[in-house]
Amino acid sequence: MKKKILSLIMVGAMACSMFVGCGSSGSAGKNGEINVFVWTEYVSESAIKAFEEESGIKVNVSTYSSNEDLLAKLKSESEGTYDVILPSDYAVEYLVAQDKLEALDKDKLTNLSNIDEAYLNESYDPGNVYTVPYEGGVACIAVNTAKVDKEITSYADLFDPSLEGQLVVLDDYRAVIGMTERSMGLSMNETDSDTLASVEEKLLTLKNNVKLYDSDSPKSALISGDCSVGMIWSAEVALAMDENPDIEIVYPTEGAYVFLDNWAIPKGAKNYDGAMEFINYMLSAEAAQMNISDFPYLCPNTAALEMMGDEYVNNEAKNVPSDVISSGEFVSYLDTDTLAIYDEMWTKLKK
Amino acid sequence: MKHEKTKHEFRANTLPALVTVGPVTIIMVLLIAVPLIYVAVMSFCSIDEFYNVTFDFTLENYVRLANVDYLKIYAQSIVIALVTTVICILVGYPFSYIIARTKSKKKKILYMLVIIPFWTNSLIRIYGWRTFLGSSGWLNSLLAGIGIAKEPIEFLYKQGTTILGMVYCLIPFMILPLYTAIEKLDSSLLEASSDLGARPVSTFLEVILPLTSSGIFSGSLMVFIPCLGYFFVSDILGGGNSDVIGNLIERQFQSGNNWPLGAALSIILIVVTLILVKIYQKLGGDMDSLGV
Repeated sequence: MKKKILSLIMVGAMACSMFVGCGSSGSAGKNGEINVFVWTEYVSESAIKAFEEESGIKVNVSTYSSNEDLLAKLKSESEGTYDVILPSDYAVEYLVAQDKLEALDKDKLTNLSNIDEAYLNESYDPGNVYTVPYEGGVACIAVNTAKVDKEITSYADLFDPSLEGQLVVLDDYRAVIGMTERSMGLSMNETDSDTLASVEEKLLTLKNNVKLYDSDSPKSALISGDCSVGMIWSAEVALAMDENPDIEIVYPTEGAYVFLDNWAIPKGAKNYDGAMEFINYMLSAEAAQMNISDFPYLCPNTAALEMMGDEYVNNEAKNVPSDVISSGEFVSYLDTDTLAIYDEMWTKLKK
Repeated sequence: MKHEKTKHEFRANTLPALVTVGPVTIIMVLLIAVPLIYVAVMSFCSIDEFYNVTFDFTLENYVRLANVDYLKIYAQSIVIALVTTVICILVGYPFSYIIARTKSKKKKILYMLVIIPFWTNSLIRIYGWRTFLGSSGWLNSLLAGIGIAKEPIEFLYKQGTTILGMVYCLIPFMILPLYTAIEKLDSSLLEASSDLGARPVSTFLEVILPLTSSGIFSGSLMVFIPCLGYFFVSDILGGGNSDVIGNLIERQFQSGNNWPLGAALSIILIVVTLILVKIYQKLGGDMDSLGV
């Protein structure tokens, strides 16, 4: 009898979990539908609804939580599964190198003029042939000034022995190793093995300072007071500052790890025109405004920023100064042998 | 005539077998054998410059696994799993004994206390622990409130916290087989033991323990093995400071983007599991009691 009850419970649990992830597909809108594949917690639902109403195109949204997720899905799903994707800088570089993106029809991007030119023509897509920027961010430093006396201005300061056991850093080896490289005046994409040996030495001195590796919600440890200094994404700092006024944002003097996420259309998309219309709408001031209100990442859309008002524009964490971006560096795709060295360093740090 | 006979045989013997065992076999092959073979094959594959898996045979993935740093994480992972198992035995045994020996309705209540937490996803429960143990969490507020701790005590993000989380998640898998084993215990043997002058301690050591050892073995196996792979516990409660083999595998499939290396790591985990099950069988363990 007990076994029966137990198995009933199990079956119930499994039956429930089957429905997880089944979105309503429903019927297509009167002007067709598009399949959009974007980061989780990144694109405002109200912006998507507004687009559906305006265009009559139904939008099916699915989400991923890392570029690797996105690339793996593009590899495993048949061509034409997605019409719009939102890869970061280095993922764009990778997709372009493999000829996996459709060129964008610039004539249809009437809202492109809203985008600050400082964010166009980036190294991963010169001339913006395949992509246009959406939002971005910086791996910057958050300091709880009530708990930390030392003045922190750079990545190098994070290695200071006085910060023992106080740091939360991103659980992301390109970010943490890249930060170490920047603190030594090197590029985040070093490939020379002798240089990397000295980077490893420096990296291991960080071990005692790190209390927590967390990429999902590093702000929580800062808000709760478990950690007093963080090397985390700028939008996370912005949200932490809203909760705890003692927290301040510091952009490292060495120049930060920056990222930009970009709208793109994968090769073989079934509804190219619908996808172009969607991307153009996302570049509009009203859509960008809805997006940054929900997810305060760096916004290259100047028209939207003008509408957001002074409080937003003067908030250094939400509206990242453009010189932070120009002095920063993107992560780029490394060859497999170099990435293996990075992976080994990270394993040493975490053992 | 002969043809007729084989047709009859097919109907009488083969067809029922196909109908009854066939679907199960197909499911087993499709959902267990094929993925396992896929993982095994992938572990010998290479990756190209774009990190795509290519079918060039290589042993390099296994060579990389012999790296000292990986070995240290295996060792750390095994220590965490061992400590977790021992704590689960020490806590789980008395609890199972009490459930098994309780008569009346209370037994059902005790039994349900073990089962009910399963109704909530373990990820959510582990996040609950994080909130509970944090610097401004309930436990610290309580300790500060009754004046025991002036400064918040740092419970989180240590190896001990990972072990706590593992014990919490896995202890039902220790209690349930132990309960089955203890309930089977014939109480007349205990009476005989005390009639023959044995003290409670020696009754426990020489009668109860040997007779319930199968429960301890199967419980240990079911705690130890998942412990090597529960990467989310070490991520959330250990703060990434006490990685287990599961973390290594997860990383290769995510940011490392090296699926063949991840596959090789998985194969190692499977081999460790098989060795443990073999040892269990050698020690006289009963495979049925692994199925709770």
